[in-house]
Amino acid sequence: MLDNTATSSTNPKMSARDVKVFYGDKQAIKGVSIDIDMDNVVAFIGPSGCGKSTFLRTLNRMNDTIPIARVEGDITLDGENIYSSKMDVVQLRARVGMVFQKPNPFPKSIYDNVAYGARIHGLAPNKAELDQIVENSLVRAGLWNEVKDRLSDSGTALSGGQQQRLCIARAIAVDPEVILMDEPCSALDPIATAKIEELIHELRGRYAIVIVTHNMQQAARVSQKTAFFHLGTMVEYGDTSDIFTNPREERTRDYITGRYG
Amino acid sequence: MPANPQTPATGRTKTDWMGEAMQKRIARRYAAERRFKWMGLGAVALSSLFLAFLLVVMVGNGAKGFISTEATLTVDLPAATGSISPEQLTQPRLAATMASIDVRRIFDNAVQAQYGEDGARFFASTAWTALRDQLTENPNLVMSKTKVWLPTSSDIDRAAKDNSTPEAEADYATLRKAGEVRQTFNWRFLTGSDGTDPAQVGIWGALKGSLITMVVTLFLAFPVGVLAAVYLEEYASKNWLTDLIEVSINNLAAVPSIIFGLLGLAVFLQFFSMPRSAAIVGGLTLALMTMPVIVIAARNAIKAVPPSIREAAMGVGASPVQVVFHHVLPLAIPGIMTGTIIGMARALGETAPLLMIGMRAFTTTPPDGLTDPATVLPVQIFLWSDEVNRGFVEKTSAAIIVLLVFLLTMNAIAVYLRNRFETRW
Repeated sequence: MLDNTATSSTNPKMSARDVKVFYGDKQAIKGVSIDIDMDNVVAFIGPSGCGKSTFLRTLNRMNDTIPIARVEGDITLDGENIYSSKMDVVQLRARVGMVFQKPNPFPKSIYDNVAYGARIHGLAPNKAELDQIVENSLVRAGLWNEVKDRLSDSGTALSGGQQQRLCIARAIAVDPEVILMDEPCSALDPIATAKIEELIHELRGRYAIVIVTHNMQQAARVSQKTAFFHLGTMVEYGDTSDIFTNPREERTRDYITGRYG
Repeated sequence: MPANPQTPATGRTKTDWMGEAMQKRIARRYAAERRFKWMGLGAVALSSLFLAFLLVVMVGNGAKGFISTEATLTVDLPAATGSISPEQLTQPRLAATMASIDVRRIFDNAVQAQYGEDGARFFASTAWTALRDQLTENPNLVMSKTKVWLPTSSDIDRAAKDNSTPEAEADYATLRKAGEVRQTFNWRFLTGSDGTDPAQVGIWGALKGSLITMVVTLFLAFPVGVLAAVYLEEYASKNWLTDLIEVSINNLAAVPSIIFGLLGLAVFLQFFSMPRSAAIVGGLTLALMTMPVIVIAARNAIKAVPPSIREAAMGVGASPVQVVFHHVLPLAIPGIMTGTIIGMARALGETAPLLMIGMRAFTTTPPDGLTDPATVLPVQIFLWSDEVNRGFVEKTSAAIIVLLVFLLTMNAIAVYLRNRFETRW
């Protein structure tokens, strides 16, 4: 089965075993097993509706908000099952941060956007440390130089690319262990996309990063490992260079050569 | 018709965009556009006309309600009270001195001396209290013969303002021969309460009753309505029970208000034995009526908050309560407030349910608390419009003006608050 490809790393940050997701009667994910480790950026690729975003959202239980969605199988974070009743979902989402497809800054100031997560989790005991967290996060998101003089301006007044980097800064500010990115560049122009990709390179190593993308060139550029999804199954998972140059599966080959998708 | 070349592929005649038929269609479209514009303009003009008519009539009738007629009365206080020394008017003895003066008798004597045997009919039945109030305010009047302005009777008041009965006109002429008459702003109307003499009634009692009732309504209906809406939108699972609740709330919002009055009567007065005619019962009853409106408005406002904001907040690990209070409610507040304004405006103008719980009481003193007998502005208007005495006509219109001003003030405050919340976000 697929398990031999999925369990390639020895000490995974997150691992999924035989995960199935149902929307009512319809099965959206049909048994996916995968390991995600700290050192590699993992890209999920595949045609629209193949379930890659759905699977991504099971990793921090964002699917919980959909009443008809049901998840089976095991997903662990540091060996701990995130769907067990002992797991605090609020803390899980702090540890596994998320960046969404459409930039969605809060309609608050740039400062408050970044500070929000740190505030609600009580990460900064005083204003000076909170300022530090905000500055560090914005620096790491590559946005500091553009916004340092207008931190009190509304986050929604920034350009699309800046908004997305603000959202990444907001995710970083909570100091998560894993960052999930759901097609973070699909609403951005090529220059903004390049900046985000560069940013992903810099964040690698400190956070485990999973990125869903439509764009195969992007997957090739930013990731070290790639998983190809098709019709709710994970067809192939392996080193990005292998997937793009020497895929084992027929369907993967067809997809990356543009035969369908 | 020009010959249309056939396109062989579809067998369809090629559209003649510049042809006569097309030009006609375009002209018809423009005509329809113009017609629609004029109809809309007509509708706006018609409603403006009605509004202007209402305002002109109300202000025309009501303005006189704010004016009262006063006549002079010369009172020789030293002669009537005997000699009162200045020491008796200093603090420790002042109260005893004032209590010893029989103002009622002095007033009667002074009126008889100046206006003849039954001159008292020129003055309001409570005019002597006005004299007493002036003495209390300025005790030194006791030391000299003075001329004071006192309110006239309702008949004289009407004769002074416009045509009245021949007898009243004759009285008015007599009065003007013996003393002076002036028209002055009727502070008593803004500070007094209900009464039997239209010249002496005031709106403050009803206004205060309305204020207290509205405060009770707002403090009950707003939090409960918003919390119910938040729960239904954010927490409740979708099943037949929540569907039933939703349908029930929508139905409640459409229930005629008098039914809420009966409910208030049965529940608050009969079951809980709360005091009749009290502002708290009125507030509770109106809160029942307003709550569904607030729930519906708040649910719609909460629904309109983009899901991306909820996801963003959850994505950084906000708990459901934090998502609601930090993000959803602040964004929904302008919409919630709009619904609240509509609900409160309806509650403020409500008469029928309050009649049911006894708030049509004749209350001559403003309510001092939640349980005092009280009436509210629309009920006061209703009561005055029912009065036989002609003098109440202008008071009714004046009360309507007060009600409208109250309503506009309330709405202006709410709109101001709403805009402030909107700019903050």
